[in-house]
Amino acid sequence: MSSSVGTNVSEEGRARGAQAQLKVSTSSDDGNLIGRSGRGRKIAVYVALVAFALVYIYPFIVQLSTSFKTDGDAVNNPLALIPNPITTEAFQRIAQTDFPLWFTNSVVVTLLVTAGRVFFNSLAGYALARLKFVGRDALFTAILAVLAVPGIVLLIPKFLVLNYLGIYNTYPALFVPLLVDAAGVFIMKQFFESISPSMEEAARLDGAGTFRTFWSVILPMARPALITLTILSFQGSWNELAHFIIAANDPKLYTLTRGVASLTSGGLGSGSQFPITMAAALLMTIPTALVFIAFQRYFTQGANAGADKG
Amino acid sequence: MTRTTRTATLSIALTGALLLTACGGGGGFEEDSGSTAPASASGPVDLKMLIASSGDAETNAVKAAADAWAKESGNTVTVTVASDMNQQLAQGFASGSPADVFYMDAGRFADYAKNGSLFAYADQLKDNNDFYESLRQAFTYEGKQYCAPKDFSTLALQINTDAWSKAGLTDADIPTTWDDLASVAKKLTTAKQAGLGLGLGIDRVGAFVVQNGGWWLNEDGTKATAATPEVEEALKYVQDNVKAGTFKFANQLDSGWGGEAFGTQKAAMTIEGNWIKGAVKNDYPKLKYTTVELPEGPKGKGTLQFTQCWGVASDSKAQAQAIDLVEALTSVEQQMAFADAFGVMPSRQSAADQYKAKFPEDAPFIAGGDYGHGPVNAPGMEQVVGDLNSKLEGFGNANLPQVLEGFDTNAGAVLTQ
Amino acid sequence: MSTTDTAEAPGTSRAPRRRRGGKGSGQRQSVAGWLFVTPVLVVLGLFLVIPIFMALWVSFTNWNGRGSPFSSQVNLVGAQNYTALLTQEGLSRQDFMISLRNTFYYVIGVVPLQTILAISLAVIVNQKFLKGRSFFRTSFYFPSVVSSVAISLVFLYLFTGTGAVNQFLGIFGIDGPTWFSDPRGLIHMIGGGIGLWSTDAPPDFLANTQIMNLSLWEWLSGPSVAMSAIMLQVIWTTAGTFMLMFIAALQDLPTEVEEAATVDGANAWQRFRNVTVPHLRPTILLVITLGVIGTWQVFDQMYVMTQGGPAKTTLTPAYLSYTAAFRQQQWGQGAAMAFLLFILIFVLTSFQRFVLRDKDDAKQKKAERKQRRAAKKKVTA
Repeated sequence: MSSSVGTNVSEEGRARGAQAQLKVSTSSDDGNLIGRSGRGRKIAVYVALVAFALVYIYPFIVQLSTSFKTDGDAVNNPLALIPNPITTEAFQRIAQTDFPLWFTNSVVVTLLVTAGRVFFNSLAGYALARLKFVGRDALFTAILAVLAVPGIVLLIPKFLVLNYLGIYNTYPALFVPLLVDAAGVFIMKQFFESISPSMEEAARLDGAGTFRTFWSVILPMARPALITLTILSFQGSWNELAHFIIAANDPKLYTLTRGVASLTSGGLGSGSQFPITMAAALLMTIPTALVFIAFQRYFTQGANAGADKG
Repeated sequence: MTRTTRTATLSIALTGALLLTACGGGGGFEEDSGSTAPASASGPVDLKMLIASSGDAETNAVKAAADAWAKESGNTVTVTVASDMNQQLAQGFASGSPADVFYMDAGRFADYAKNGSLFAYADQLKDNNDFYESLRQAFTYEGKQYCAPKDFSTLALQINTDAWSKAGLTDADIPTTWDDLASVAKKLTTAKQAGLGLGLGIDRVGAFVVQNGGWWLNEDGTKATAATPEVEEALKYVQDNVKAGTFKFANQLDSGWGGEAFGTQKAAMTIEGNWIKGAVKNDYPKLKYTTVELPEGPKGKGTLQFTQCWGVASDSKAQAQAIDLVEALTSVEQQMAFADAFGVMPSRQSAADQYKAKFPEDAPFIAGGDYGHGPVNAPGMEQVVGDLNSKLEGFGNANLPQVLEGFDTNAGAVLTQ
Repeated sequence: MSTTDTAEAPGTSRAPRRRRGGKGSGQRQSVAGWLFVTPVLVVLGLFLVIPIFMALWVSFTNWNGRGSPFSSQVNLVGAQNYTALLTQEGLSRQDFMISLRNTFYYVIGVVPLQTILAISLAVIVNQKFLKGRSFFRTSFYFPSVVSSVAISLVFLYLFTGTGAVNQFLGIFGIDGPTWFSDPRGLIHMIGGGIGLWSTDAPPDFLANTQIMNLSLWEWLSGPSVAMSAIMLQVIWTTAGTFMLMFIAALQDLPTEVEEAATVDGANAWQRFRNVTVPHLRPTILLVITLGVIGTWQVFDQMYVMTQGGPAKTTLTPAYLSYTAAFRQQQWGQGAAMAFLLFILIFVLTSFQRFVLRDKDDAKQKKAERKQRRAAKKKVTA
């Protein structure tokens, strides 16, 4: 269970969403629903668009401005977008909590999980797509079956297994169960199936071994799918909460999501201090936004059409 | 499924089952030792302490005390502040590696005593009888006292003195009966301020129940007694005032607890315990208020007592050192230091005079020690009490007889186990 | 080797796989194949497959959290945990039913609304004449990428009693509720508003008929105000992901079909209803399926924002399972709840896919399968 369950989209959903996003940017034209669009229609569409955009952007602006407000200002003037007075109290207070530690933990876990998933998922996806071995179809069915298990069902059982293996409350518990995910294998398999086998035949004729073929020939061709996988893995680990709740108890092992969640449930003492929670939320969101923007630019440059098979 | 698929899944399942039985007792789980002599680790020990703090003042005080003992004994103590005490305790016990020493609330104590998570060390304390009898009782299960009470607090009535004088009230108007309280609350209620702000749950309205001579369970905790006239009348008194708009609960005042409503001046009075001193000093320093004893009910004085003890885990490998730490933390000097830092009252009777001399304004709280009632502490009651609290959240509209009967039924199912 | 019935993967390519020549590389491939999948096998097996069996075991015991669940001291209690949740009159069943009721309203609120919002956003963003499409698309999709914890914190702030939302409503003269502290059910409130009944004194018939520990009145409450706030948040967050799927599907619609419809005299709404929507049908089905699966598992928001309150109106089976095990140390019951949830989701999605299936497509598939079986029989005969 590696996706953020809280956004109500399962792993499969995220996979398809990301594939769809790839597709969207590679297609050059759209051509729907118009033809002869009157000015009235255009205005209506723009109005609706701006209205929705406001609804979607406003919460983030609130996040930004509230983190620079004082407690009193935040409570008394929630609609005001400019803090009065502007203060960095909230950030100072956050620096006093274990926030830097949580941030570090999240970064480490995310890097490990993303690297692990990109590597292991593509290995397995390639094997399932291209290599002949006994039980391949059975294995694939089993992986699909795993996709069908709702992540939340695994909360208690994963805790039991972690405990049983003796790694509960240790660093490995945070990332080892997340190193692989069924949806990622599914994506990579689908992608590899769409690649023409001529490349591999050429490599084989040249005498390259299976792993060599995979690593030097096929994998570089898989860039768009790998990017998709990287983004999904980043999201799946940076935003993950439930897994970290059950994986460890030690505050030194808190990741960003767990630590920030604890700020609302007593970590700050009495009273709800909004600037602090907003500042924490802001600091959590910035890395996500950066990664998002970075890869968005990659997409608009045009990706390999192989992603279209989604 | 094709045949190959079926055989494959079958073999996976079998392998799985084999693996499970092969790895007999997994590494993470500890077997229950059940011995009565404390486990003692050799050499310098690193004790783990888990506390639920009311704020920075408490955290720093506990850390300072633990460090002092650590330096003296040559061990180390790591103090952790829990963000979700119940969950972290439960997870700790389940994984077999809980904290060595931890806060144990009287309301949850029975469950942990019953399932063997606690080590009963009270009989090994040097001066156990110095603790108040009622507090020792709160931590006794099946005749055995498990741990040392670390402090206690009681509920009293806080009054916003500015609002008080603005409403034209004087010292003579301080309420001493239920009728007094109702009329005073009425005078204090304005469009922007409720007369009395109450926190949610039976941990506040229970005071009225005690004042009317009732309680949720009978004396030895074997039968539920919520659906009795004493309890119903007490709750009805509160409900009538809620309907009149003079009493309001925290959720009606957009506050997390009574103290927040009081501090943000959405309520002119509130019923809270000692902890409100620290909260007001930290978060609402400009507030002027005074504390008085709760008014009497029809059957006399009554209030609620809250207490926690220093729990020691059965799974701890350094129990002897843990007990030593607890002794240091419950000395009279240390208890007075804690009282100074975050306003709790010492659990030792020998400290009472010192406390009264140093904090005369806390006289109403300490007086509650004589007529206060502890929390519901029968095992397995947490879910039942939680259900009662959730049904009382919409207090103004609650069907009290139905809710209380439901409590009795649910409690009955649990108490007979 | 035949392609297995991958019912979960409608997008799998159905092109017949080319047979690779043996040539001695066959064995190498076999070894390589198994080596490549081993990491996935180990991790998934250890942390997904085995936990399921372990939880199944625990759900049949009364393990209280100390010691190993496989030790001899742990009692097997058979189906007791399950009956306590389903058939036995008592607090566990009451809480479980409350959680089911809450989540039921949550699901039927969130899934249609987020689907409709996603389609609307997709259609708007997809307009040919639009400038700055990428910016708008990004801003609609961005919330799905952000951590639910961060978003929950923001919405906690926006929806306080004197928060931004209520101040905004105040401009229109509406007195907003104290969202997260308000346990009143929407259906109760609407009914009371139009005079169907009085929320203070519900009709006897509803208040006194008890089904599974809850009165009919309680069953009919609708989502509470607090739950509605969470629903708004979730719809806002996840519509973006589904919007992308719809945009991709819309771009697949050939312009000629649209233009043909326009030439035939259809106006925009008719075009939308008779050309676009049928084309989007598989995507709609997918979005609804994913929506149902996702909404039944909602957990993060309850953990961060409401902890099941107020008055248990945001209690969900996922959160209840967690608290039963981790807070009240009733691990058997927590595990039983998790399995019941699993079965429920499985049944619901299967049922929904069956109901919304493309009947012509199904008939065709059935005919194909029959053909294949006949062909196989011939070969093996």
